[in-house]
Amino acid sequence: MKEILKIKVNGQSHELLIKPKTLLLEVLRDHLGLTGAKRACDSGACGACTVILDGMAVKSCSILALQADGSEVMTIEGLASGNELHPLQKAFLDHGAVQCGFCTSGMLMSSKALLDENPNPNKKEIKEGIDGHICRCTGYNSIVRAITDVVKGEYKEVK
Amino acid sequence: MIKDFELFTPKTLDEALALLHKYRDECKVIAGGQTLVLLMREGLIIPKYVLNIKRIPELSYITSGKDGVRIGAATTHRAIEKSPVMKKALKVLAEMERRLSYIETRNWGTIGGNLCNADPAGDPAPALMALKASVKMASVRGERTMALEDFSLGSHKTALEPDEILTEIQIPVVPPRTGAAYDKFNIIEGTVATAGVAVSITLKSGDGVCDDVRIALGGLARTPMLAKKAEKVLRGKKITDSLIKEAGQKASTEAEPISDISASDEYRRELVKVMVARTGSEAFARAKKA
Amino acid sequence: MSKYSVIGTRVNMVGGTDKVTGNAKYTTDINLPGMLYGKILRSPHPHAKILKIDTSKAEKMVGVKAVVTGKDTIGKKQGIWRRFPELCDEEILCRTKVRYIGDAVASVAAVDEDTAEEALELIKVDYEVLPAVFDPMEAITEEAPQIHEGVELNINVNRHIEWGNVDDAFKKCDHIREDQFVCSSQAHMCMETHCAIASFDYNGKLTVWTSTQSSYYIQVLLMDMLGMREGDIRVINPYTGGGFGSKFELDSAQFCASLLSKKICKPVKIVLNRMEEFTATKRRTPMYYFLKLGAKKDGTLLAKEVRVITEGGAYTAMGATALYLTGFFSSFPYKYPNYRYDGYRAYTNTQPSSAMRGFGAPQSTFVGESQLDMIADDLGIDPFEIRRKNGMTPDYVVPGQAFIQSCGLHQCLDKIEAHIKERGKLPPNRGIGIAAYGFMSGGIFNWFDTPYAFSAAIVKINIDGKVDLFTGANEIGQGSDTTLSLICAEELGVNFDDIRIHSADTGICPADLGAWGSRQTLMSGNAVKMAAADAKRQLMEFAAAKLGVNIVYDLDIKDGWIHLIDRPERGVSYLDIVKATIRGKDGETIIGRGHYTPHRKGMISPAYSFGIQAAEVEVDPETGKYKLLSATTAHDSGQVINPVGIEGQLEGAIMMAGGYGYCEDQPTENGRVLNPAIGDYQLIRSLDMPETNILEIDTYEPEGPFGAKEAGEGLTNPTAGAIGNAIYKAVGVRINTLPITPEKVFRALKEKEKKEKK
Repeated sequence: MKEILKIKVNGQSHELLIKPKTLLLEVLRDHLGLTGAKRACDSGACGACTVILDGMAVKSCSILALQADGSEVMTIEGLASGNELHPLQKAFLDHGAVQCGFCTSGMLMSSKALLDENPNPNKKEIKEGIDGHICRCTGYNSIVRAITDVVKGEYKEVK
Repeated sequence: MIKDFELFTPKTLDEALALLHKYRDECKVIAGGQTLVLLMREGLIIPKYVLNIKRIPELSYITSGKDGVRIGAATTHRAIEKSPVMKKALKVLAEMERRLSYIETRNWGTIGGNLCNADPAGDPAPALMALKASVKMASVRGERTMALEDFSLGSHKTALEPDEILTEIQIPVVPPRTGAAYDKFNIIEGTVATAGVAVSITLKSGDGVCDDVRIALGGLARTPMLAKKAEKVLRGKKITDSLIKEAGQKASTEAEPISDISASDEYRRELVKVMVARTGSEAFARAKKA
Repeated sequence: MSKYSVIGTRVNMVGGTDKVTGNAKYTTDINLPGMLYGKILRSPHPHAKILKIDTSKAEKMVGVKAVVTGKDTIGKKQGIWRRFPELCDEEILCRTKVRYIGDAVASVAAVDEDTAEEALELIKVDYEVLPAVFDPMEAITEEAPQIHEGVELNINVNRHIEWGNVDDAFKKCDHIREDQFVCSSQAHMCMETHCAIASFDYNGKLTVWTSTQSSYYIQVLLMDMLGMREGDIRVINPYTGGGFGSKFELDSAQFCASLLSKKICKPVKIVLNRMEEFTATKRRTPMYYFLKLGAKKDGTLLAKEVRVITEGGAYTAMGATALYLTGFFSSFPYKYPNYRYDGYRAYTNTQPSSAMRGFGAPQSTFVGESQLDMIADDLGIDPFEIRRKNGMTPDYVVPGQAFIQSCGLHQCLDKIEAHIKERGKLPPNRGIGIAAYGFMSGGIFNWFDTPYAFSAAIVKINIDGKVDLFTGANEIGQGSDTTLSLICAEELGVNFDDIRIHSADTGICPADLGAWGSRQTLMSGNAVKMAAADAKRQLMEFAAAKLGVNIVYDLDIKDGWIHLIDRPERGVSYLDIVKATIRGKDGETIIGRGHYTPHRKGMISPAYSFGIQAAEVEVDPETGKYKLLSATTAHDSGQVINPVGIEGQLEGAIMMAGGYGYCEDQPTENGRVLNPAIGDYQLIRSLDMPETNILEIDTYEPEGPFGAKEAGEGLTNPTAGAIGNAIYKAVGVRINTLPITPEKVFRALKEKEKKEKK
């Protein structure tokens, strides 16, 4: 018995007919073709599926899509502005905070949510902000350095 | 894979209770679902109906009044972690939440969901038990309250009737000169506690004598438990380092830990000694400053 | 002022913008028209005969399009050591017997994943359960069940390395130590699980998109297992989410998807779930060590004897290489006048153990560096002094095994020693431990039996000066696309941005053995450099003619300017010469070709990296828990090509190797992995990650492109050993088994307390 899901993703409204058991991650990847968020584990423990839901970083693999009915979601595809990368994206590239990239979408989402909530986190808070994410490639420290540089204003957007 | 189910999203608690009463044997309640969704994905729980209470407004709040603090069961961990209400002795709850899993889980998962999941090693139960918390449950038949230490009946089993919903956590007014602390032992931060300890100490005026104490253990028995014999070591006595250590030794004998892939039962017993001593000292220091 | 324009500069990784915007398509993200989804049915038994498989109900299920079992294969066994058929022992889709919990027995393709999963439940398999054995020590006894026909005592590989005369040498030693160690397994834990989309067309040609470290290996192994012509198989490597040694063998996702697609000529996608990833792929080889080390009282090492038994699991996979390399690297990085190694690999009814970053060297480094510190302690010799006294030096020859050319070990020792001195006196319960290591830059062996050069590359220069680089090398996140583009740009004298790389598509790129054994920077790099030089030479013919220079002058290209090396102001633009060359060759495309295979480089590798790592820990003596505070590494990788890449490899290696030392483990019970889920499998996250520092060492490796050698695997070697030595320095206890858990440290401290009370 399918139900209607009304959800705004990256600023665009959608109305989808889905089975109640559908996960938010499945709506994003399979129904909307936004494959940036990844399925990398089956226990909600790795962070690769993280998106920003009503301003909060959440694991989309552990949320029934219909529980996000009426909500606003940002995925990695919504981070850049037109053809201009977000400061976090630029910082990640400059610091080599991306290697295989599979964790990167989720990592960037949590980083953004962290800075939206707290524009001036200390080192421990930055580490806590990304602790929900496993990265098997970088060893995390380059990611912390990238975020730190954004916090310091190294990537202030020139208007 | 998750098998199909029908989803109800009632707007009020009464609606929810009516639905749960009707479908009680085949219905699972979901709030944040941070555990339930995973269990459904594994095929360990296959409900025919799922009752979504995540956004029922009357279940999500943190209030503070003359009767103490009240937390709606569908309040997220993150809301508790960030709440200005969690001051003084209640700071222990914010600290406990900060070590519970990761931010993403805390943003969506709820305190009620956690307590109903009744993982013996869950973080909230010992911290709340140290603050003498009670839980309120509701059904079409009315409401009832019980002490939190009686709520968990075993691993993943609670006192909830099939048609009851946990609605509120109640924390009585914390007496003056009370300090509370929570510590958990794990190998990697954010993972489930190998052992969890919460201690609250209330001092009589000025002389360092313990008026009341609670020592709660998590992950060290079939349910979270109060180390009552250890509490007796401290209650009514003047607190010293060696007395706190003795309480730790005592708590170690009361605990009923198991051996699993994280640790042996013997090691867990050793951890109890050390953690009760340290957490007790911290609670004592906080009580003196309170 | 660097003598290079491009290599050694900090650049954003090739493909990086795709990754940070979510545009990067990995295999799981690709959807093809008409694509079906596959799932695999796996054995619940560690050892059993397959009596009968009834797939009739599954086949009839609505939405199911194809079902395959071992009967649908051509009945061959495969393995990476293709030159040695007795080591090609894995059917992947089992025909008559299963040998571990997770061995594949059937596969289904359906319209969606849920249907495929439900269909698996309808397949009925009749097993005759056989006795199973899990411990390699038990597996090699007479009473143990035989896991593979014809393999006595379940020992299918043994290796022997020897020089000098250890027995005589031990007699001359002032001090001898005998120690036993146990090195655990480890899961690769790539963020992207094994996956493949296989698509047969109606002409019998197969295209496979897969997450792999070697498109070429997968192409050839599919040829073997499907009985096809190699050229009728095209393997494409989309963005790949990590490999670490888990993805250069033919796996169940690739094979089953191919078999299913063959039946129906539709694309079939199979993505392993995380539990399958933990239990039904491959893992690091667990090893049991018996070490005997003899020295003179001044710390000169005279003899080392190593005996190893490895837990092979159900199939050989790459285990024979791990067995050999652990024996070879047990002699690293020291000059042993006398050495003997005997290694045995035992089949067991557990998940096959194979290759994982370091390939036997993290294990040998942990045990070797621990024992070396122990003997130094016995003799009252400083750990740096004993390493200096015996450490390898440039141009050292490992008798019968290897020619070391560049070797920066002693510079590394100096740098780390200075770093530790700077740390000064440490507070109680803190310690810094060191571990020295070396590693190969790719292997010289051709047990895969390829007729091709190990690496090859093609460079095409377009009319606008833009360069297309074709290489078979696989980008798996380690940055090889970037490194190879840097090498190409440097050699050609153009900008990094002028290079567009096409990698690891067997349909358009020349064969390359792929990303394993830390080979690509050196081997693929050499091929790329040669191809670029070949293209450059064609330009130079026309440049020399255009400039009309005296024969005594040489020309070179830098920053798009072709010039006299002695008079750089005299020259002509690269773009002008490109146009001239194309016109001059009748409009023919400028193509440069390069290849590389190491020749006469010993038994192991054409070049070796070296290094030393210092780990600082703080132990809580009341619980045994310890914090990894920092890891400082001096790593000799010759000329640095891609500095951002090397830093990333170092820090990532510390996360992985630190985890190997501290917390990663796969406990099993009767062959069943007890923690096959993230959350239960402990690994290091950001809060537990130590501070990392890298100290620059300047060396030049003649064998490598611009003097470069490896920087991917060697860095995984030292951390466990450094941690073990650090804990000893901090609280005086030694743990000889991995991982070094808090409980082990606690128990050791209690033992020590008891002993001291007596």
